[in-house]
Parts: sequence; C-alpha cells; structure tokens
Amino acid sequence: KTDIHYSILSLLLCLSDSPSNTTYVEKPRDKEVEKEEEFDWGKYLMEGEEIYFGPGVDTPDWSGESEEEEDTQPLSREDSGIQVDRTPLEDQDLNKKTVPNASWKVGEPDARSWLEQHVVPQYWTGRAPRFSHSLHLHSNLAAVWDHQLYTSDPLYVPEERTLVTETQVIRETLWLLSGVKKLFIFQLNDGKVAVRNDIIVTHLTHNCLRSVLEQIAAYGQVVFRLQKFIDEVMGHSPESIMHGTVSTPKKTTEAPFRTYQAFMWALYKYFISFKEELTEIEKCIINKDKTVTLSIVIDKLSPRLAQLKVLHKVFSTGVAEVPPDTRNVVRASHLLNTLYKAILEYDSVGEASEQTVSLLFSLWVETVRPYLQTVDEWIVHGNLFDPAKEFIIQRNKNVPVNHRDFWYATYTLYSVSEKTENEEKMSDNASASSGSDQAPSSRQHTMVSFLKPVLKQIIMAGKSMQLLKNLQCKDGTPQQAASRDAERKSLYTLFLESVQSRLRHGEESVSDTITEQQATKQSLIKMQSIAERHLELDDVHDPLLAINFARLYLEQSDFHEKFTGGDVCVDRSSESVTCQTFELTLRSCLYPHIDKQYLECCGNLMQTLKKDYRLVEYLQAMRNFFLLEAGDTMYDFYTSIFDKIREKETWQNVAFLNVQLQEAVGQRYPEDSARLSISFESVDTAKKKLPVHTLDGLTLSYKVPWPVDIVISLECQKIYNQVFLLLLQIKWAKYSLDVLRFDELVCAAESPQIKEGASLEQGMRPPLGPQSESIKQQIHRMFLLRVKLMHFVNSLHNYIMTRILHSTGLEFQHQVEEAKDLDQLIKIHYRYLSTIHDRCLLREKVSFVKEAIMKVLNLVLMFADRWQAGLRAWKMESIEKMESDFKNCHMFLVTVLNKAVCRGSFPHLESLALSLMAGMEQS
Amino acid sequence: MFKIILYILMAEFPVATRVLFEISRILNTGLDMETLSICVRLCEQGINPEALSSVIKELRKATEALKAAENMTG
Repeated sequence: KTDIHYSILSLLLCLSDSPSNTTYVEKPRDKEVEKEEEFDWGKYLMEGEEIYFGPGVDTPDWSGESEEEEDTQPLSREDSGIQVDRTPLEDQDLNKKTVPNASWKVGEPDARSWLEQHVVPQYWTGRAPRFSHSLHLHSNLAAVWDHQLYTSDPLYVPEERTLVTETQVIRETLWLLSGVKKLFIFQLNDGKVAVRNDIIVTHLTHNCLRSVLEQIAAYGQVVFRLQKFIDEVMGHSPESIMHGTVSTPKKTTEAPFRTYQAFMWALYKYFISFKEELTEIEKCIINKDKTVTLSIVIDKLSPRLAQLKVLHKVFSTGVAEVPPDTRNVVRASHLLNTLYKAILEYDSVGEASEQTVSLLFSLWVETVRPYLQTVDEWIVHGNLFDPAKEFIIQRNKNVPVNHRDFWYATYTLYSVSEKTENEEKMSDNASASSGSDQAPSSRQHTMVSFLKPVLKQIIMAGKSMQLLKNLQCKDGTPQQAASRDAERKSLYTLFLESVQSRLRHGEESVSDTITEQQATKQSLIKMQSIAERHLELDDVHDPLLAINFARLYLEQSDFHEKFTGGDVCVDRSSESVTCQTFELTLRSCLYPHIDKQYLECCGNLMQTLKKDYRLVEYLQAMRNFFLLEAGDTMYDFYTSIFDKIREKETWQNVAFLNVQLQEAVGQRYPEDSARLSISFESVDTAKKKLPVHTLDGLTLSYKVPWPVDIVISLECQKIYNQVFLLLLQIKWAKYSLDVLRFDELVCAAESPQIKEGASLEQGMRPPLGPQSESIKQQIHRMFLLRVKLMHFVNSLHNYIMTRILHSTGLEFQHQVEEAKDLDQLIKIHYRYLSTIHDRCLLREKVSFVKEAIMKVLNLVLMFADRWQAGLRAWKMESIEKMESDFKNCHMFLVTVLNKAVCRGSFPHLESLALSLMAGMEQS
Repeated sequence: MFKIILYILMAEFPVATRVLFEISRILNTGLDMETLSICVRLCEQGINPEALSSVIKELRKATEALKAAENMTG
C-alpha cells in the first residue's frame, strides 16, 4: 500500500470519535448492475457500411450514485477493459445525447432519423448510397455485360438502374411470399405481381435477374390470390361478396357459408406453417451464419412452391372459376368434388406425389367437416340445420311433419350435372327417397361424388330420424339419448379416427387407448378452464359453453397437428392394409359409420312403428277386412247384403250397409269397427250392366292413423278396395250357388202342377207320365250345371283365397319383418298389393280373362236366380244356352290359362288351370 | 513500475471512495462524502494526515463555538 493509503487511514483514525458508542446502521449495499453484453445493433445492421462504433444502447445505471460520479463513469464499451482516458469524454457526452435511451421511441424525431440513417440503407427511395463491392469479375458481371452491350451495339443506351444487393432481393422475395403487399422490387397491380424493371444486382445481368424474379412473382401472385380469398371469407376485405349476390349493407345477417369457411381455414393453417418456414429462413439470413443466396432459398422453398401451385390449381378450379351467381349448394359440392378429384388424380400417380396427396387430403378433410357435421346432425338428431343452404338436401318447409305427404315431399334432392355448363336443376319433389335413382344416366357427375354411394342411406336415416323425433314427441316419452349426446362422438370424429388408424397402420399400440382417454380428459379440463377465462373476458359466465368450446378446440387441434405435421403419410408399403387406392380407404372410413347410424336409426323407427304404433296389426286388419281373411266376420256382413239382393230389396242404403258392417265387425274386432266404414256410389248406369256388376261402387274404407298411413296410403286402399270387390263378386256367386237347394227345385217342379195345371209346358213329376221324363231330365241337367258351376266358382275361389292371397300374405309378412327402413316397407307393401292385383287378374292386359270370368259369374247369378224362380220360369232352351255358354267360357279360359302356363309366364295359374281343366267335360 | 501501480490503484479509486466512506462511518468520524473526498484529495497531494486531522478538529470546535454564540444571542 502506498503512503497515501496510510495517510488517509491515519486521518480517519484521528478523526474517529468513539465508534463503539455510536450506532452504526449499515447502509444497504447496492448491488452492482450487471453490465449486459449489449448487442451492437448499429454495427450489425450496417452490413459493411461505414464503420461506426456507436455507443452502447444501455447505460448501466448505478442507483444511488451522486452526480459527481457521472464524470468519472464512462459509458460501457464492449471492447474496453482499459481505463478510459478522460479526453474523449466530451465526445461521448455529445454522442450520449443523440443516443435514445433504452426504449425505442421511434416517434421522437431524432430517434427516427437515427433509425433511418443507421439501420438499413434505404434502397427503395432511389437515392441509395453506392455501396462498395468487390471488383472481381464475377461480382461485377452486370457492369461487364453492360459494357459489352455498349461496345457492341451502337444504339444501346444504358438505363438508369437501381442497385440492390442479393440479400435485399432475397428478403423482398420472402416478404412477397408471406403476403406483404408493399414492396420495392415486386409491385402489385390489380392482383398481378410485376417485377420492377430497373432492378439490378451487380453479379447478374439484368435479364437473368428478371427471369428469376418473374418466376417468383408468379408464386407471389398465387399467394396474393389465396390470401385475398381468405380475407374475403373472413370478412376483412371491403369488397367481400360472399354469396355471389350483390353485397348488401347488412352483411352480418347472412348465414355463414360453412364449407368455404372450412376451406379458408385449412388454407389459413397452411399459410401459417408456410410463413413460419419463411420466417425461419429470414432469421437465418439475419444471423448471417451461413451463406444464403437466392437460388439456395428458392431451392429450399421448392417443395412449398410446388404445393402452392397445386393449391392454386385446386383453388382456381374449385372456387375462382365458379360464376358468381351460383347457389351455395353447387358451390359447396363443386369445391368438394374438385378437391376429391384432385386427390384421386394425384393418388393415381403413386409415390411421387405423396406430399401433395397428404396436403390435399388435409385440405379436403377440413373442408368436408361442415358437410359431415350437417349430415351427422341430421341423421342423429333429425335436424337439418343448414342456414346457408349448402347441403344437397333441402328441407321443404311447407310440409310439416304430420302432413300426409310428409314422407315424400319433405326433402328435395338437388341433383345437378357438373359436365354441362348450363346447369339444369332437377329438384325432385315427388319422392325424395327414390330421387337419386332417377338421376338421368347420361350425366355422370352428380353432386358430392364422395357421398353418392351412401346418399340413399343418409336420406333414409335423416327422414326416419325426423319422423322418429316427432313420434317420440307425440308420445311424450323421455329421450334418454339426449343426455348421452355429449359423449357421443360425432360422425366427423369417428371418420377422423378411422382415417388415422387406417393410415398409421402398425404404428400405434392398443395400450395407448386407455391413457389416451385419460389424457383427453385432462386436456379437456385444462382446455375448459382456458375457454372459460376467454369467455369471461366477454362477461360470459357459462361453463357449458366453455366445455363445448374446449371440446371443439381439442378436436380440431388433435387431428390437424398430427396429420399435417407430416407424421402421417399414406402408407403404400405392400404389407400395409392401405395398399388399396385412396378412394377405397376413404370410403371404408366414412361409409361404415353412416351405415351404422342408418341401420340403427331406421331400425329404431321400425321398432317404434311396429311396437308403439302397431303397424303390423294395422296391416293385418287391412287384410282381414279387405281381403276377407277374417272369414267369419265378413261372412256375416256380406251374406246380409247378398240376402237382401236375393230378396230383391234395396240394399244400396249406406246406413244399412254401415249398420251391417258394424254389427258384423263389432263382435270380434271392436276397436276396428270404429275405423271401418262403407259407402256406396252408384256407378253410371249408362252402360248396360251385367248383374254381377251390381256390387260395383261399394267402397270400404279403413281409417288408418298417422304415421301408419305413410305405409297404408289412400292409393293403397284403392287397390285393396278393388280386390275386395272382386272377392265379393266371387263370394256372391259362391253364396248364390251354395244356398240353392235341390229340393227347392223339385218342389217347384211339383207345385205348379198342383197349383196351376195348364200353363205348364213341362210335365210334372209325381205322376210319372210321359212329360216327367223331360222334367226329370231338366232337373238333372240343372243339377249338373249347378255342380259344374259350383266347381268352377269353387276352384276360382280356392285359387284366389289360398294360392294368391294366403301365400302372398305369408311372403309379405316375412318381408315386413325383414324390412330395414320405412322406404323399404312402403315398397314392400306396394309390391304386395300390385302382386295381388295382378294375380287376381285385375290388370288391364288380362282383362279379357277377367271378362270371361265375369261372364261365368254372371251366368252363375242368373242360374241361381232362375233356380230360385222355379222351373216354370224357363225352358229347356235357356238351360241349354246356359250350358253352352258356360262350356264356351270354360273352354276359353282353360285354353288361355294352359297357354299361359305352358309359356311359363304365370306359374301361379297352374293350379287354376289344372282345376278348371279337371272340370271340363271329356268330349 | 511504480507509476503503473499507481495508475492501477487510481483506477480503483472510484470504487474505493465508497468503501472509504463506509469506513469513516464505522469509525464515526463525522465526515460526509464531500468533506471526505476533499480530505482524500488533500492527502493525495501529500499533506500530513495528523496535521490535517488536527486542523479539522480545530475547525469543528470553532464552528461549534460560533454556533453556540449565535444561539446565545439569537
């Protein structure tokens, strides 16, 4: 230590005044502020400009220092360890004043000018300083080439060019690709990106640079176009015309076009990842760790640029080229179809385009989400919720659920051909269920091609669900399913899961599922708290809403992260299951879920209809009464009518008919008697009627409650009625023959002889005189005729009742049990009815056969009449005539039927033909 | 060589000033920062420390007397 130290210490010692008697409070020691190794921004951003050692940004503040120390405290310099001499202090003081303090307040004018001067040379203002570059030939190519042109071409005028560095070019490129609009080198005019003409770098010729930049400009244009679309859909841009209609001032009331929104979202996510990559490259450039040239950058970005190209292609086909007036339905399906076709196209190329396929697939999966959600909501809850009318099936609002035409008119299927440019809309009102079959075969593309195979099931499921909901509402049965709906996985989730499992075959282990569930539960809870906090920002305290948002976010993030991260690639190795084409894979992931739901919900509907609404019982009732299966009941009814007819009394009284009906039915089927009613309309008497047609005009009707009347419609009842009439006629004939009594005839033969003797032409029986032979013969012939007629009528009756009605009925019952959905049931029922109708020979084509049968029946009735009237009423000739008539008809029928049977066209007629043939006389 | 050492030591000077002040406080010298730095500078110039301390004591006494006189009259 030096003397000075000693002297100071001794001074202090002398001055000390009993230190032990005073209190000493230790002053709190001020920690030394650590000098940060400040990054000299100025130096770094200079890029080799004038070397300027700017002072450090941060002056370490010593707290509690007095001003005295300031003079002795030089500003920190990063490279100084030596005591600074005081002479440059004034210099630094000056500088200190021009340095802005730690916070960059660019608003301050002097700070801003400092920034402008020192951060980056402003090459865009045109008065860029000439920076130095090496004079090596390779880095001076532009000048050399210029010189060459100048010397070779006498007319060459060197133009004024702005000099930029390659780094600046690269950075502008990166900014262009990330969507920046105001640039120097690339200029945006009306959506087209043009390269500025007077740009030059020192090491390339002008043309060369321009050609490279123009390629980039094309990609920039793609980026702008896509960005514009994204902005439009999000509603940012002022000229957003979302629906192709004139933009109205109240845009907020328009329903969101969800498919476009989903597509936009997918593009947006793609762009985010793209911009991340660009930012990485830019950071790399800023760090200057490695050499970065334009071609290196373009090379690095080339897969992305190729993807941009694909995106642009898909976008322009799918969205941009759609004329502005098209409806949302068409737009949505066009976009989905375009994406799908593109996937298939690239998929067929094979391994070379795997990346493209994954990109397009992720886009497609995202875009199809609203569609699938609509489908899901419809087939699970029966609600077709489609505010923007983008789904191909529209709910016809005019038809409420319990309307008669509900089943047919409630949904219109929108089929549009994609091939022709003029779109012909074919909305099928008549029957939405079979609408898809009616699409003309000449048009190959229909809406939403990926849904086409399951379209029918979707429609069926949706309609059934809606009907079911209404039925359940009517009944008031509690819907237990609603509470479990929160845990139900939506169609979209199921689809995603199966896709994931399909494409990552062999990678995952089964034991993950349990932990996965736990993980999802935890993340759900975590997410819910985040969502709740977000909602509270808007003063919304709704935990249910929060948990739903949480679910939504999780759903979205899970799949997309896993998928677009590139983890999942379409596995084409031969040992994987997904060696099939992409289309098959896709279909096997989506369709089974739809099918399952369809089976479930249609099965539910069937069950409900059968159990709660007693569908089968009603069908049986129809058969009981219309097809006379309830033989005894109906016997009571119709015999009363026939008796009246026989006694030549008026029976056309509606009241009488109804009373008879009620009496007959009320005994055994009390609940049906309320629904049955019969009415009579007299058919026009203009044409001469045969007696057999007296019964025409009878209409039996059965009131079927909704919803069973969807199956048993009024048209069906008409057919039932026709068969009923035919059966009545046959029964009538049979009954008339049955009630004829042999001894009546004999007595009648006897009585005239007792009563009146003279008017008789024929002889009498008891006195076996010469005329009794003819009477006996007559009687005998009548007996024979009666038997023949009876045989005919009986065989016809048996044929119809057993062979046709009974066996068809059994088939029908069997089919009803097997029916999977309501449409099928309706079809089955209708088919059953038409079968019966045909086989009862009621069809137009075989009307001559029916005529013949009618003739015979007529004959029967006349015969019965005559029989009742007694022998007196007729002569031998009329008997003979009747006999011959009958024989003719019989023969005719037999031949016709035999021909038909031999041809094999109506196998069921065989028994009839056989029995009729057996009744023929061997002549 | 001596000059170099001196140089180094003087480099440490600003740091040492605070320490000195602490020492003076502990010893209850009654010097404030300003007075201390003046004293230190005087010592640097080579003044005898004992003499200086006695001068300071004298000055203190004088000021106290003046203060007392003022108080008495005022």
